[in-house]
Amino acid sequence: MSAAVPQPGRDDEHAGWDELAVGWALHALEPEDESLFLAHLRSCDLCAQTVADTAEVMAALAGDLPQTEPSDGLRDRLRSAVAETEQVRPAERADPPAVRPPVERPPLTPVAPLGGASVYGNLRAPLPHRRIDARPSWRRVLPTALVAAAVAAVLALGAWNVVVAGDRDAARATAAEQSRVIESLLQPGRATIAPLAEDDGREVATVVARDGQVQVLAQGLSVNDATNRTYVVWGMRDGSPVAIGTFDVVTPQMDLRTVGSQATGLDDYSAYGISIEPGRQAPTAPSEIVATGQVTS
Amino acid sequence: MGLVTRPARSTEDGEADLELLRRVAAGDRGAVDDLYERFRRPALALARRVLADDVLAEDVLQDVFLGIWRDPGAFDGARGSVASWLLTMVHHKAVDAVRREESHRRRTARAEDDLALSAPVQTSDVEDDAWERMEAGRVRSALQALPDPQREALTLAYYGGYTQREVAALTGTPLGTVKTRMLAGMRRLKDTLGTGVPGIAGVTPADGTTR
Repeated sequence: MSAAVPQPGRDDEHAGWDELAVGWALHALEPEDESLFLAHLRSCDLCAQTVADTAEVMAALAGDLPQTEPSDGLRDRLRSAVAETEQVRPAERADPPAVRPPVERPPLTPVAPLGGASVYGNLRAPLPHRRIDARPSWRRVLPTALVAAAVAAVLALGAWNVVVAGDRDAARATAAEQSRVIESLLQPGRATIAPLAEDDGREVATVVARDGQVQVLAQGLSVNDATNRTYVVWGMRDGSPVAIGTFDVVTPQMDLRTVGSQATGLDDYSAYGISIEPGRQAPTAPSEIVATGQVTS
Repeated sequence: MGLVTRPARSTEDGEADLELLRRVAAGDRGAVDDLYERFRRPALALARRVLADDVLAEDVLQDVFLGIWRDPGAFDGARGSVASWLLTMVHHKAVDAVRREESHRRRTARAEDDLALSAPVQTSDVEDDAWERMEAGRVRSALQALPDPQREALTLAYYGGYTQREVAALTGTPLGTVKTRMLAGMRRLKDTLGTGVPGIAGVTPADGTTR
């Protein structure tokens, strides 16, 4: 997934692991990077150290935040919770070996006079306990690439607008529109994504196809005259285009259009295309292809 | 910088923290109380910063301290301090909670806020705002010394709870660049904050805990 997936065993590539180690410590890795790094961390002292160092810096950052007292109730709640909770005995510790490096590593330095280290049982890395994905379902189901692409596309435009306009109301309106677009793009479920580009490679639209619905995120298609012209989305199968449905572009700005279509299996093409057609109906074959693109996810 | 002059306290405190954890491991419930006394303020500060919600933040604290009581053996004495271990758990649980609790809409809106706030023309406002919420201190100057893009990437991840890919999207930066910035920023912070001896608590939470 990651463009910079580090390859173990290549000297010049450990920087990639260093980057993942920092991301891991920050709890900021994508799931795929996380599993990749976890597998590596088990056998890499260097990375274990980077994780530990990063955690120290993070602790320092936390220490300098403005501090306030927790409510009195918290101490009481914690006390009663502790009072009625039994400790995990070393023998019954449920931790899967997965989060424990298989090799006993001696401390690199004679750290604090721990003396009775064994009292702690199996002292192991402060690896984040995150076996359960607690993210909302839409975050799990959607390919992260889609989320990233959608958010990046929409928000990048937003930033540009805000900077250029320097106008709070305009920024707010843009943000509201962006929310609608993102919301719609991120609805749960499987989706097929195909960025479409013109001949010169400029991306002008992204097709987001689900089983019974196709949406087009237009980002630079010309506005069509809705009285006598229409855009048509085509699915490519075995080299021949199949008309999926029609839509209009009503603004040169980024806009999300839902394609009118009665069919199902709309996400089952390897490539998509957009054409502009005379009249209001999809012809049997496209006359003027505007943009095409392969499915990327 | 002042931060380099602090190691004495760190080592001392690190040992005191270890002693507390040892007592917890021995089944001393009162030691959890003491640990709570010691870390409640930085822990709450962090959870509140990430969650922007006092109730959720206190839930995270209870979760963390109770978790330490249940399984003190999860701490690795070979690497890192008790302080960093504890605060890392607070951070990760707070981030999990913010990802779980924030509705999609709210998170989107918040992302847009963060983005608008980090737009170049408004940079100074944002940072003033962020700094207001942060005590003037050694970490502040260390953060300030970072190049803007590095600081932006790290603060979005650490305080905002955004993943690397989300940070990339929010800042309109390629993912690889975000990863590189986070690493470079962390390295620089570590050098500035000068933890020195690997594995030892060179950096501990600031005062406000028990002394």
